[in-house]
Amino acid sequence: MSTIRLNNVIPEIFAHNTDVNSDVWRKEISLEQGKKYLIEAASGTGKSSLCSYIYGLRSDYQGQILFDGQDVSKFSINKWCDIRQSTISILFQDLRLFGELTAMENVQIKHRLHKLHNNKVIKGWFDQLGIADKMDTRIDHMSYGQQQRVALIRSLCQPFEFLILDEPISHLDDYNSDVMRDILLCEVERQGAGLIITSIGKHMNIEYDKILSL
Amino acid sequence: MRLIWKLLRKHISIFELSVFFVANLIGMVVILGGIQIYSDLKPLVAGDNALVGNDYVVISKPVKRLNSKTVFSAEEIEELKSQPFTLRLGEFTPAMYKVYGGIDIAGQRFSTYMFFEAIPNDFIDVKSKEWKFDKSKHRVPIIIPRNYLNLYNFGFSQTSDQLPQITESMMKDLELDLTLGGGDKSIKFKGRVVGFTDRLNTILVPQKFIDWSNKRLAKDETAEISRLILEVENPSDPKLLDYFHDHGYVPEGKPAESNKALFLLKVGSGVIVGVGLIFSILSLIILTLSIYLLLQKNIDKLRTLIQIGYRPTVVATPYNIIAVILNASIMVISIWILSHVRVLYIDYLAEAAGREIEGGMTLTIAAGVALMIAMIMFNIYIIRRKVTQISRMK
Repeated sequence: MSTIRLNNVIPEIFAHNTDVNSDVWRKEISLEQGKKYLIEAASGTGKSSLCSYIYGLRSDYQGQILFDGQDVSKFSINKWCDIRQSTISILFQDLRLFGELTAMENVQIKHRLHKLHNNKVIKGWFDQLGIADKMDTRIDHMSYGQQQRVALIRSLCQPFEFLILDEPISHLDDYNSDVMRDILLCEVERQGAGLIITSIGKHMNIEYDKILSL
Repeated sequence: MRLIWKLLRKHISIFELSVFFVANLIGMVVILGGIQIYSDLKPLVAGDNALVGNDYVVISKPVKRLNSKTVFSAEEIEELKSQPFTLRLGEFTPAMYKVYGGIDIAGQRFSTYMFFEAIPNDFIDVKSKEWKFDKSKHRVPIIIPRNYLNLYNFGFSQTSDQLPQITESMMKDLELDLTLGGGDKSIKFKGRVVGFTDRLNTILVPQKFIDWSNKRLAKDETAEISRLILEVENPSDPKLLDYFHDHGYVPEGKPAESNKALFLLKVGSGVIVGVGLIFSILSLIILTLSIYLLLQKNIDKLRTLIQIGYRPTVVATPYNIIAVILNASIMVISIWILSHVRVLYIDYLAEAAGREIEGGMTLTIAAGVALMIAMIMFNIYIIRRKVTQISRMK
C-alpha cells in the first residue's frame, strides 16, 4: 500500500461544527509510504480517533478513507486482520499490552505471526531501551514508561508499510525518547515505510516531511 | 498457540465446566440408553421373527352359502390399496389345479389331496436360502404353518403307536412326492418343507412356481384372488376395523391387540429419550452460558488480540478445542457406561426371550456420534458468533 487518502473525513461528533479549523478534518490529504508525518493536536481534537479510523477500529466518521483508492469501509474483519498483520502497525496511546504476560511474551505474541526478526535483534532493542532486565517481568509489574518501550518493540515486530505511533513518548525522558527515535527510524527506513506520529506537544526530533495540525 | 492459551485459560472455571460435563453426561447416557433399550427390545416385539405382535392382517370374505363367490375384484383391491392404513398389499395366488401329495413317515405312507398358494416374498416371515424355484430340477420348496406339524405330533402321532413324533428339522429332511394336475397334463414333482410360518395359515410355494404351473396346468382360468395380506401400521386401528366390517371382509389370524407391546415399547423408550434430551438441552444451556461468561471475562484480551492482527477464527480456537474435548469425552464415556450396563441386562433379556439378542450397539454409537457432532457444531457456532461480535468492538 503506497497511499492513505482522507477525503473530507470528520468524526461524526464534530460533524455539526461548521468552524472546524484543521489540516486534516474536512480536507483532502494523502499520506505517502516512505514519508514522515507529525500530527499535532490539542487534547480532545480527535487524534486517537484518527488513528482508530486508519487502523480500522472505528468507523464513526463522515467522508472517505482510501487505501490505494479502495474505500476501507467495505473491508471485512479478516481483511483488517491481514492489514494489521502485515501492512499497518500501531503503537496505541493506551498501549494495549497483556498485563499477565511478561514483556518478552507480549512482544512474542505479535512476533510469532511473522517471525520477522531473529531474537538477537529483539533482545538488542530491549537492551538499547534499558529494559533488558525486565524481559521476564510481567507487564503489570512495570512502570508506564517501561511499558511504552515494550509496546514500541511490539509494534516493530511485523512487516509494515505504515507505522502509526499515537503519543509514543508521553512518559519517556529525552534520552529514552532519542533512543526510541533511532530504533524506529532505522526500522522504518529498512522497511521503506511511512511514519505517522501524533503528539500533544512533546514530540521526537525527526525531520518530518509534513506537520499537520488537527 | 502456547501464549494465546496462557492468556485465555485464565477465568476458565473448572466448576462451571464440571457442571456442564456431569449434566451432559447424564443426558447423553439417558438418551443413548433409551436408544439402546429400544434397539435391544425391538427385535423381540416387532419384525420378521417377533415374539409378540406384527403388523400384518390377512383378510378374506366369509363363505355364506354353497357355491358363493368369495373372490376380491380388481376394484376392491385397488380401493384397499388406496386406504390410508394400508402400507403394502399382497395377493394370495392359488394353484388352479389339483395337488396330490404323498409322504413316508417311519415306513407309513401318508397321501392326501392338498392345495398350494403363493404370496409375494416380502410378506413371508420365514427366511430360507432354498426358497427359490428352478423348473428344470422338478423340485419345489414348501412352507407350511407350524400348527400343521403340531396337528400331526399331538394328533395323529398320539393316537397311533406306529407314528413317531417328529421335529421341525426331521420334517425338513422328508421328501414329498407331488402330483400336480390331473389326466394327461399331470407332472410329477418333488417337494421339501423349508420352513414353518406363524403368520400365514396356508401351504406356501414360491410365486414363480405358481405362475409357471398355473400357466401350464390350469384350465384357461385366471387365478382368482380370495385372500389378501395387508401390512398395516396398527392392526387395531378402528378405521381399519370399520372398513373391514362395512365391506364384509373378515380378518384372520392374531387378535388385533398384538401391536400393543410395540406401541408400549415405542412410548417407553420415547419417554426415556425425551428425558435425556431435556437433560442435554439444559446442559447445553449451561455450557453456552459458561462459554459466554468465559468470553466475556476475557473480552479485553480477545479484542486486543484481534486488534494486533489475530483473526477471530484463531482467537476462537482454544475455546473450540475445549468444546471438542468436552463433548468427545462425554460421548466416549457414555458409550463406555452403556456397554457395561448392557452386559448386566442382556443375559436376562436373552433368557427371557429364549434366544440370542440380535444386533449390538451400532445404532447407539451412531446416535452418540451424531449428537456429539451436533453439540460441537452448536458450541463452535456460539463461540464464533461471540468472537465476531467482539471483533466489531472499538
